[in-house]
Amino acid sequence: LDLSKYIDKTIRVKFQGGREASGVLKGFDPLLNLVLDGTIEYMRDPDDQFKLTEDTRQLGLVVCRGTSVVLICPQDGMEAIPNPFIQQQDG
Amino acid sequence: RKTCFVERMLFCVSTELVDKCIGSRIHIVMKSDKEIVGTLLGFDDFVSIFLWKFKAITPEGRRITKLDQILLNGNNITMLVPGGEGPEV
Repeated sequence: LDLSKYIDKTIRVKFQGGREASGVLKGFDPLLNLVLDGTIEYMRDPDDQFKLTEDTRQLGLVVCRGTSVVLICPQDGMEAIPNPFIQQQDG
Repeated sequence: RKTCFVERMLFCVSTELVDKCIGSRIHIVMKSDKEIVGTLLGFDDFVSIFLWKFKAITPEGRRITKLDQILLNGNNITMLVPGGEGPEV
């Protein structure tokens, strides 16, 4: 696993428990602990834990624990698409 | 001062970064909605358990609990914010 290509780039990180954050990757280690700068956390809807709201908060320089990270992707190059899992009900 | 901190981060991650935080305030974000702000006393590398002198704990119910010293298990830690203020209450 090589994260060096993401150094100094903005990445989006998802955590166990549903938290999401994005920030500039400043460093990482083999355990997947991350150092992010200018971190923004995206707050979840209190009624629906899986839905993100417009609310964000600034955290600044943070260490993300590798044991909690479930997904890392670049912040750019993402776009919303229609839900591909909705089944069409016929007849 | 913050810029110098970032430059140090370029070469040190994880335990080294937290090591620099010993004796100063740190804000911990758990996997759940609990967050903790306190002074870092020390931590254990292998077992991932952190030792704190807590000033406040703010669970999702927005209650503030002040504790003196606790041992926090690192299993549930998601983010560490050195010098962080914690959530607004």
